[in-house]
Amino acid sequence: MKDFISLRILDRFRTVFEAVGCDYPIMRKILQAKLTMDSRRVPTILSRNARRAPDRNGFLTSLWVYLFMGVILIPFVVMGRNYLFQMSVVFGILMFLVMTSMISDFSTVLLDIRDRIIIATKPVTGRTLGFARAIHVVIYLTLLTTVLAGPSLLAAFIAQGFWFGLTFALSLVWMDLLIMTVTTLLYLGILNFFDGERMKDFINYVQIGLSIAMVIGYQVIGRVFDVVKLRVVLRPAWWQAVIPPMWFGALFAELFGRQSSNLTMILLVLALFVPLALFFAYVRFMPAFETRLEKLSATTTHSPTTKHGWRRNLARLACRRRDERTMFEFASIMMGREREFKLKVYPSLGFAIAFPFILIFNPAWSQGLHSLGSSHWYLAIYMSSVMIPTVLMTLRYSGQYKAAWIYQVSPIEHLEDVFKGTVKAFVYQLFLPVYFIEGLVFTVLFGIRVIPDLTVALLSMLVYAVIAFRFLRKGLPFSEPFQLAQPSERIVGLILLALVGVMAGLQFLVTLMSGAIYWYMIFLVLANMIAWRIGFRVKGINAVRLGA
Amino acid sequence: MVFLGKRSVLHVRMSSEVVISIRDMKMRYGDQLVLNGINLEVQRGQIIGYIGPNGAGKSTTIKAMLGLVTGYTGTIQIMGVDIANGDVEYKRKIGYVPETAEIYETLTAAEYLTFVGGLYGINEERASRKAQSLMTVLGLEDVYNSRIASYSKGMRQKVLLISSLLHNPDILFLDEPLSGLDANSVIIVKDLLAQLAAAGKTIFYSSHIMEVVEKISNRIILLNHGEIVADGNFEQLKNISHEKSLEGIFGQITGFLDHQEIAQECLSIILGSVT
Repeated sequence: MKDFISLRILDRFRTVFEAVGCDYPIMRKILQAKLTMDSRRVPTILSRNARRAPDRNGFLTSLWVYLFMGVILIPFVVMGRNYLFQMSVVFGILMFLVMTSMISDFSTVLLDIRDRIIIATKPVTGRTLGFARAIHVVIYLTLLTTVLAGPSLLAAFIAQGFWFGLTFALSLVWMDLLIMTVTTLLYLGILNFFDGERMKDFINYVQIGLSIAMVIGYQVIGRVFDVVKLRVVLRPAWWQAVIPPMWFGALFAELFGRQSSNLTMILLVLALFVPLALFFAYVRFMPAFETRLEKLSATTTHSPTTKHGWRRNLARLACRRRDERTMFEFASIMMGREREFKLKVYPSLGFAIAFPFILIFNPAWSQGLHSLGSSHWYLAIYMSSVMIPTVLMTLRYSGQYKAAWIYQVSPIEHLEDVFKGTVKAFVYQLFLPVYFIEGLVFTVLFGIRVIPDLTVALLSMLVYAVIAFRFLRKGLPFSEPFQLAQPSERIVGLILLALVGVMAGLQFLVTLMSGAIYWYMIFLVLANMIAWRIGFRVKGINAVRLGA
Repeated sequence: MVFLGKRSVLHVRMSSEVVISIRDMKMRYGDQLVLNGINLEVQRGQIIGYIGPNGAGKSTTIKAMLGLVTGYTGTIQIMGVDIANGDVEYKRKIGYVPETAEIYETLTAAEYLTFVGGLYGINEERASRKAQSLMTVLGLEDVYNSRIASYSKGMRQKVLLISSLLHNPDILFLDEPLSGLDANSVIIVKDLLAQLAAAGKTIFYSSHIMEVVEKISNRIILLNHGEIVADGNFEQLKNISHEKSLEGIFGQITGFLDHQEIAQECLSIILGSVT
């Protein structure tokens, strides 16, 4: 196994670990094994021509995307002297990105029960294993933070001076500490109250809830400041104390801006001491966390009876062919139950609901709600299609991807049915409900006159779903293991996002001509009929995935 | 001595040295009582066939002895030390093959085995040398440096066995250790277990395959509903239950006798007479 640079850096802190009761050589061995495993991709059972992938970390290759995002932060750091506002925004964005990554990518690391069987059965203390687990996550958190905050940190050193930069750097360490401990303690809390399947479900919903909450929280941070009159004014209120990014903002306001007040002092104290207090709590409870994890592997025997009547009827309604119906039902159950899938997908459903409203928020705010009625802002509903590529991409993956041998042994005649049934299940079960909620609220906001427009938007998005399917790499549903990140898919995702803009633009042009909207609607109905009829015919994949 | 039936506790004495001692162990998950007073003493050199239906509490007992499960009442002593004292040192004397066959399959056998050896405190060189020799003897020298993901089930099982033996443990907990092995390998492992026992190792062997348990164990412990319901060697169990095979004994004691009727019913469902 390789001797990783991160481990060599870690060696310098050996005494620190030993001081807190950790068996350093053992911890290092565990980390080395983990990092080696991370550097290798899990081979897909179904790809016969298993490419010998070089030792490469999937997560590392996705880092450049984060680097790009990091560049966006630069103006906030250099542009002015209103540190409370600027740095709160910077930390808000950073915490949002780091925390979502933490929850979606590293929860499996924190809650890995394989470790229990393989490592905890050896003479390794719970504390050592707990630290190994934590440091494993911390290594990635550090990388992620460095890449994300790197550009703005550099800018801070140049534009705001050495001490500012240093404070920024130290705050980042503190921020990671906060995120790490909060997440673990949260899980520990949950592990205390639930066990087995119910707990896994609960953790799942907490993860989903957190991801969505962070998107909303991210919006809130913008609203704390009144940006209307060009002058950013903070309205102090007690509830700002519960927004951690503001703690860090306050730190900079105290030290570098002339914005000192009672409130910033309180926030500053919170910034300094909350992460520290949480860290001590974390170290204290770590062994407990390890034994609680055992609950995750506990099996529950009772099985509540579930009815699939509605699912069957929906499948009959949506699909004509038998294989397609079977896939529809299967995919619909998988989408509703598989936690990892829900974890990857449900937040994007939340975004799909939230984004259109976020988009119309500003015009509604500045010009009044009544002004919306005569505007074209209802086109914001196109934003809800952000979920389409995400879900279609995720449909290939499953935690139980190995069970996909069933496709190989069962007499499926047309692969088309497999794909069509699955995509239809997504449309009926996830997309349409979200769109109808959205449409209902938009009808209330914009008036009944937008119903034809919303119908046109819906029809465009249904065509878009087929187009997105064609664009994305095709793989049998639920047949590949989840991986940390697929950077190349993100680029396709961006192109597809641009396509949404084009569709919205088209509809805008159509609305400029009176009556044209109905012709456009007829055109889209036809387009849908053709797209859904021929759009799922897949040839090449047959030989690759199902051939002998 | 031997007994059948509930709540009577007698022990088979083979040698004087007690390596595992469980006293009045009870465990509940929620409102479910998984272990209802286990009392057990295991002497050095025994091969114990630890059997019982699914959900009888076998793996809970084993997991508790490995320190994976806490929250039981009663005491477990291994090599005379109460394992609840928070010290993990006793695990140095234990080798374990889990039923779930969990393994880090993206590592090569070389990496995995030296890693596990390292966790037991064996230095890398020594662990590697030992691992490689065992791999070679078991016919896996060619794949020593390949990733475990590319292994067959039997090859994985061999790696797991090796990983449980590298540190020369005194006690072995083996949960379905023969799963996936081919016929020849099964013979090797069976012989190895017998020789390990002769060398003074204690083996705690858990399986659902009664023929194997019957042949290799010199003491059989049958668990049902969280209680030990039979404890003795095969001959003794046979005499008392008047069944010829361990399978029969198992069925009789756990009260499962209508297997033929069930098979009959299955067949008629498959053939379509039930709609």
